[in-house]
Amino acid sequence: MRMKKFIAILSAVGMLAAGITGCGGSDASDVSDTSGDTQSEWDSSNDITIVSREEGSGTRGAFIELFGIEEEQDGEKVDMTTEEAQITNSTSVMMTTVAQDEYAIGYVSLGSLGDTVKAVKIDGAQATAENVKSGTYKVSRPFNIATKEDLDNEVAKDFMNFILSEEGQAVITDNNYIALEDVKPFEGTSPSGKAVVGGSSSVSPVMEKLIEAYKGVNANAEIELQTTDSTTGMTSTIDGSYDIGMASRELKNTELSAGLKPTVIATDGIAVIVNKSSTVDELSSDQVKSIYTGDALTWDEVVE
Amino acid sequence: MKSKTWNEKFMQGVFFTAACTSVLAVALICIFLFANGIPAMKEIGFIKFITGQRWKPGNDIYGILPMIVGSLYVTAGAVIVGVPIGILTSVFMAMYCPKKIYKPLKAAIELLAGIPSVVYGFFGLVVLVPRVRELGRALKMIGLARSSGNGNSILTASLLLGIMILPTIVGVTESAIRAVPAQYYEGALALGATHERSIFKVIIPAAKSGVVAGVVLGIGRAIGETMAVIMVAGNQARMPAGIMKGVRTLTANIVIEMGYAADLHREALIATGVVLFVFILLINFSVALIKRRGEREQ
Repeated sequence: MRMKKFIAILSAVGMLAAGITGCGGSDASDVSDTSGDTQSEWDSSNDITIVSREEGSGTRGAFIELFGIEEEQDGEKVDMTTEEAQITNSTSVMMTTVAQDEYAIGYVSLGSLGDTVKAVKIDGAQATAENVKSGTYKVSRPFNIATKEDLDNEVAKDFMNFILSEEGQAVITDNNYIALEDVKPFEGTSPSGKAVVGGSSSVSPVMEKLIEAYKGVNANAEIELQTTDSTTGMTSTIDGSYDIGMASRELKNTELSAGLKPTVIATDGIAVIVNKSSTVDELSSDQVKSIYTGDALTWDEVVE
Repeated sequence: MKSKTWNEKFMQGVFFTAACTSVLAVALICIFLFANGIPAMKEIGFIKFITGQRWKPGNDIYGILPMIVGSLYVTAGAVIVGVPIGILTSVFMAMYCPKKIYKPLKAAIELLAGIPSVVYGFFGLVVLVPRVRELGRALKMIGLARSSGNGNSILTASLLLGIMILPTIVGVTESAIRAVPAQYYEGALALGATHERSIFKVIIPAAKSGVVAGVVLGIGRAIGETMAVIMVAGNQARMPAGIMKGVRTLTANIVIEMGYAADLHREALIATGVVLFVFILLINFSVALIKRRGEREQ
């Protein structure tokens, strides 16, 4: 009997607790409702949610270099990105996080920028391919492809010529990346055979379009695309399983000394993105730097 | 007659090869991990690697203490969330459940076990993270917390992992409770104990080793979970700074940086895998120990 009484009391206490937390829950939702009202005004006293890419990512490397977040200390370059920054290794999680969080800031490749988020102007320049090309928007990085120095695959050579030709660079421009200058029309030799291209997932979408276009000029060749990452792309090219490797970063010295020859095929802008309900439309590079180095913790420390 | 014995011998060989495959796989994984990880640990310095609080691969600083502590915190959180629910669920299923509810309940728990972890992760990212973020901002507004965090936190990861380890705990615990001889329960009733008292004072203590094994298996699942945790934990490579703040686990550290790592950085990530592997070994070892002790008691 005592056990039953104990359980009855326990359940009564449990219900009471549930009731209280229920009330607490509604309190919380009341508060979030009021903050929902201020969200339309966008309360700048809130903490900034800083989202960054992982160490070693090509996007992050270019971002910290261009905004001066990388500092020289004792002859060594140190990444000063705040340790409070949330880290993700995918563009889609970056976009979802920024699209959901009113106070978030992040950065993505210009080519993968969607309309779920807002790209801010940097030092007064809009993040567009034209502005990157004219040099007013300074946040950009090269897309590299790499081959072995003694590449003997005719299809791969021909495909590379195509990428670096007028036709190939037109595909790059169509996909919102920035094409190379002074290119000549394509003079293909139409070799038949097979080539494997693989590597960085940042370069891969535009490479897919390039392969499609190349098939239009040379139906004899078969080109296989494997999407992995920059490092796998380089190591697989060194050991011969890819004919052409893709990297969204500069090649490392060990990779160069292993006999890889890099070629820049395009330039990609990096867009700094914020939530759509954010009132921030423009940031200076110093402001971006102070956010990412952790000097500014709330939005009102950055903007009025 | 002769051909039959040959047949039997041949098939025995086939079965033996099949059995060897899994052993061989484990052995190869061990060799790969240690052969690649140990040199990196030596190069970085074992103590520096395990107790270092800073992880800056760009400057060749490799300290994985934040990740070790992060993994432990998140796992502990998952245990706090998952174990009470799991044990009470299995008690309900084994001792209270009407036949009508049992089948759908069992099916639901089995389904929970079958959901891919990336789906859990997406659920966490879209459903749990905004809720926790609102909670954090509300706490900051009423002055209970100094910093609100952004929803990607130890708390979120713990809640999500707590749900994810439920099927493991419920499955093992339920069968352990069912394995207790019926005489124990009947004897307790005959001595005048109520249904509840017989369950909590007689059956559960008798099934103790099975329950503990279930919890430890759950811990193993939580510490090894990767995809779901990456999507909700924030992944900051620094010492955990609070329950509403982000954290990076050992598994997340490997997956996030593997794509771009080269040279020593890559080896350091494999060495992280070695540390994780040692954790899992310890967990499996303790499960075996608990089971053996349980058998001796019976």
